[in-house]
Amino acid sequence: MLDGEPRVITAGAAVLAEALDQQAVPRLGVDWRPPLPGTSQALAKVLADPRRRSANEVAVGRLLSARPQLVGVRPAREVLDLPARTFFHAGPPIDWERASGPMRGALIGAAILEGLASDAEEAERLLVSGSVKLDSCHHHRTVGPMAGVVSPSMWMFEVVDGEHGGTAYCSLNEGLGKVLRYGAYGPEVVERLRWMGEVLGPVLAGALAVNGPIDLRSLIAQALQMGDELHNRNRAATSLMVREIAPAIVEASPEHAAAVLRFINGNDHFFLNAGMAAGKVSADAARDVPGSSLVVAMARNGTDFGIQVSGLGDRWFTGPAGVPDGLYLGAYGPDDANPDIGDSTITETSGLGGFAMAAAPAIVRFVGGDVSDAIAATRSMYEITLAEHPAYQIPGLGFRGTPTGIDIALIARTGQLPVVNTGIAGRVAGTGQVGAGLVSPPAEAFTSALVALADT
Amino acid sequence: MTLGTRTRIQHRAPADAKAFGAASTALRPALESPRRPARVLAVFPLCVYVEVRTDVEPSVVAVVTGEATRLPNAVVLSDPLPVTAAGDEAAVGDGCVEIGRLTVRVRRWWDPAPPLGRVELSRLERVLPRFGQICGTSARRPGLADGDAGALLAEGCARGSLTAAITATEQLMGLGPGLTPSGDDMLAGVLVALRQIGRAAGVSRAVWLADWLAATVAFDARTRTTPISATLLHCAAQGQACSDALAVLRGIAGHQPLEPAVHRLLRLGHTSGADLAWGLRAGASAVVALGRSVRTAR
Amino acid sequence: MTTDLVEVRAGVYHDSVSLMRISQALSSRPGVTVAVVAMATELNLGLAREVGFSVPETGPSDLLVAIRADSDAALKDGAEELERQFAALARGAGPGGARTESPPRTTRSAARAWDASLALVSVPGEHAFAEAMDAIDAGLSVMIFSDNIPVEQEVLLKERANERGVLVMGPDCGTAVVGGAGLGFANVLRPGRVGVVAASGTGAQQVTCLLDHAGAGVSHVLGVGGRDLSAAVGGRSTLTALAALDADPATELIVLISKPPAPEVAEVVRRAVEGLATPVVTALLVPGQGDLTSAAESALLALGLPVPEWPTWTVPQPVTPCAGLSGLYSGGTLCTEARIIAGSGAFTDFGDDEYTRGRAHPMIDPTLRLEALGRASGVVLLDVVLGHAAEPDPSARLAPAVREACERGTAVVVALVGTESDPQGLRRQADALVAAGASVFTSNAAAARHAASLIGSAL
Repeated sequence: MLDGEPRVITAGAAVLAEALDQQAVPRLGVDWRPPLPGTSQALAKVLADPRRRSANEVAVGRLLSARPQLVGVRPAREVLDLPARTFFHAGPPIDWERASGPMRGALIGAAILEGLASDAEEAERLLVSGSVKLDSCHHHRTVGPMAGVVSPSMWMFEVVDGEHGGTAYCSLNEGLGKVLRYGAYGPEVVERLRWMGEVLGPVLAGALAVNGPIDLRSLIAQALQMGDELHNRNRAATSLMVREIAPAIVEASPEHAAAVLRFINGNDHFFLNAGMAAGKVSADAARDVPGSSLVVAMARNGTDFGIQVSGLGDRWFTGPAGVPDGLYLGAYGPDDANPDIGDSTITETSGLGGFAMAAAPAIVRFVGGDVSDAIAATRSMYEITLAEHPAYQIPGLGFRGTPTGIDIALIARTGQLPVVNTGIAGRVAGTGQVGAGLVSPPAEAFTSALVALADT
Repeated sequence: MTLGTRTRIQHRAPADAKAFGAASTALRPALESPRRPARVLAVFPLCVYVEVRTDVEPSVVAVVTGEATRLPNAVVLSDPLPVTAAGDEAAVGDGCVEIGRLTVRVRRWWDPAPPLGRVELSRLERVLPRFGQICGTSARRPGLADGDAGALLAEGCARGSLTAAITATEQLMGLGPGLTPSGDDMLAGVLVALRQIGRAAGVSRAVWLADWLAATVAFDARTRTTPISATLLHCAAQGQACSDALAVLRGIAGHQPLEPAVHRLLRLGHTSGADLAWGLRAGASAVVALGRSVRTAR
Repeated sequence: MTTDLVEVRAGVYHDSVSLMRISQALSSRPGVTVAVVAMATELNLGLAREVGFSVPETGPSDLLVAIRADSDAALKDGAEELERQFAALARGAGPGGARTESPPRTTRSAARAWDASLALVSVPGEHAFAEAMDAIDAGLSVMIFSDNIPVEQEVLLKERANERGVLVMGPDCGTAVVGGAGLGFANVLRPGRVGVVAASGTGAQQVTCLLDHAGAGVSHVLGVGGRDLSAAVGGRSTLTALAALDADPATELIVLISKPPAPEVAEVVRRAVEGLATPVVTALLVPGQGDLTSAAESALLALGLPVPEWPTWTVPQPVTPCAGLSGLYSGGTLCTEARIIAGSGAFTDFGDDEYTRGRAHPMIDPTLRLEALGRASGVVLLDVVLGHAAEPDPSARLAPAVREACERGTAVVVALVGTESDPQGLRRQADALVAAGASVFTSNAAAARHAASLIGSAL
């Protein structure tokens, strides 16, 4: 303790730091600022909670050690607790009344797909009447990108955690442009979904049966080293997945192989949904550790941004969803953008996406310019995370593990909010995607969770 | 001898710039005296040597940055070194070092000869072969071939032979090229080890030998070697050493891991580190030999 | 005619001491009559409103700037000075030199990014627990300069520190010296053989400065916080600090400066002291138990060193038996010691919480004490503590006030705690104070005895 030359970390009064500098004592200064307004008391209680350290170690340990494996592709009605006339959706629970344009559009599309309505007007009447039950994907071991609408006839990726035994589901990715998850519900959208149910799903299911499970942990680790951050860029991961499964697709369904492979190849985001299920199964492993301040879900429904915390069970803590700041397609602009939507923030929750921005120099324009911004974004996330992922590493940071395991106490202390990469949906139902960019979550979701944790 | 490796830059530091630093207590006499004129002796990227016009040691002050090795006659600056060149005016005293228009004030004193605590002879016997192995596996070698003077010093000390040790000391002083000739560094290592390890192991014969060699050095160094080396020898005679050598002593005493400390020392300078390491080994071995002979005599 | 500048800078944070210095620098510009630069806490907003600024709605995470000047030109000059001060603050904020990476936001991330041996926490007390716990979790000893930390938090920190084998100095620890580095209010001391464990910062400063005068240096000064020896805390840091010094090869003698301990803790500490290989000199700050100066003298005797005459500069001062004695102190322990020795008189500790709300410690900002000196009569006893982080030249403002008091017929006695190597220079401060008419003592006990003798109640 008293050996050697002192090297001092200083937090607080500059006059004391200056005195050390004048003594030529090696020093690192903390850029300390007061915590988020209204959190002081809750912070004091949470930080002094004797359960906290080990609870967080256990929770984040589970998140880090999860081994997600893609084991199958199956219809939602078979694997989910999803009776007829029930739809799941992204984000915290919401009703039709408060749902935004793209969420409504996707629900309309799903009603048409399921044959509950023959056109949009009829579907809307049905949904307004409340005769279709809505529930949050997250309540059913499921996640969905953007609107995240899951209806009984859709096919789902099935991912199990080889370490802790959990299972999670995510729908299949439709591609970009006019697609259901962005709120489009035109005939081409519904037709594509039908094809996915009739051809794509069964073919993938057959191929996986031939091929055996795909180790998503190692696939994601490789994709990170190939320039993906696994939220807004999935090009490498999709390629790796195709490479692994293509022979099995050809073997299992020679008659559909060309069409299926062409479809996957045409969509750089095909892997996103498998990656999200991997994130969900990993984050779920970290749930329900009493006293833990670890975030186990961040999700948006287009109206609210909500989080769940390990030590707080299934309670949601929400704030208004923000409008992303980013790049727009074609003639679209910020006025066309819907507030933030989708469960894809499960990637950030599990240490990818915006948190791994430094791994994806190809898409740094989304975060405001150059590579140094991407590196700064990732570095700032180490301030609010409990660990560095042992398998997910960033070559450009000397193979440092990605910042993983968001801690609401650290968010309150630093005022640093999670960096979230996201696609941007059109505000008006039926529009589809209008851009992609970066969004800042509402601070109150985290501060209200902290206050609640202080009372446990 | 190299004098200055930087080209002289015309624009000077702004008038009356102030800086602060941490000084070795070896410099306390020089710094607490009334202000005396001095001049810049040599300039390196991490170190400026200033020579005070005086007959009393320490006459050379090393002004260094935090990254430099901390010489026993150093003032460590918290700020970058001033732009200066060999021959520039300077001053030392009244608590300050002045270089050109920069005034460096001392805000901390540190001990260049911190006590090692108690070290058993049995520990030294265990650790010294390891020390030798680490030096042996390194490509860094002392600047002098295993010549007569070095061997004579090591052997003379181990036997406790004053005549042999003093003869060897006189031969080694100033021997070799450079700012701090290899012979001086080897001698400095022996002096520091005899005094510090001798004291820690309670071998009074080693400390007695160090006193005699110190007297020899004090008498002759200024006429036999460079001013910088003479000051460092003066420090070594009191048991004061650079931070990297101190770390090795602490490693020998068991206060920190030995191997990384030895490697750091060996990397010091051109051959200075290897010369010092040789001296520390020779001195420490002498302490063991002297300690054992006393015990046997009993 | 006066003109005001009021603005709120949202989300800008600087620590209170830095901001008080800026306020002071602005107030001293010609034409500037009032300057408040502070975080917009309730207290600071109240202060600004009291002096008549119209302050907008804002919150404690914003920075409030309010400047009043007697002309537009002076206001503009003040505003420019403000920007210069902020720029200087920003330059100084980084560690040692320039860094391109953004600095860490918590002690936790600093400890991950950099190989440190120690943390110094001086954030506002309600937020200090988090930073201190970060340091301990990272295996670093920590000095907590911050005060107002609940005792339950102190116990938690010290329990965890025991598990991790590190030392918690504090909370409310004003002084430490570790490996020669002065932390907080510490003096520039020569390195040496005496290790100090202190429950009192100014107590440690008095003892170590006297040792320095006598040529005996210190190895380390480890503060433990004023509550460490209470029953609740159980002397945890005292025990750790004693063990650390016992294991330190540089430490040959330990001086334990203690406040009256809880009886059960006293017993634990006594047994710990008996178990040490290193001899211990204890200074217990209660009446009849000796004083800090005698503790320093005992330490010198134990080291086999001669006890010198403690430097003293007296001026002729008449004995006025009917006069009152007022003690105006910045150091709490020095104040207690002087009160015990003098036996009578009205003593005020300006370092107490009561006087430091919304302003800096009197060692940094002497305004309140100077006002009190301006009103005092009879015999005035005060302390001036030099060292790192203290006022850069205390006699500059104190000497004129002393001269004025002396001209009024007040006798001024100063306990001057410091060393010649201190930034302020002991001799320079003493000379200025003596020239102003004060008697100056480097021993607080001697100063107190002298002051008492001037009112005829010498012991």
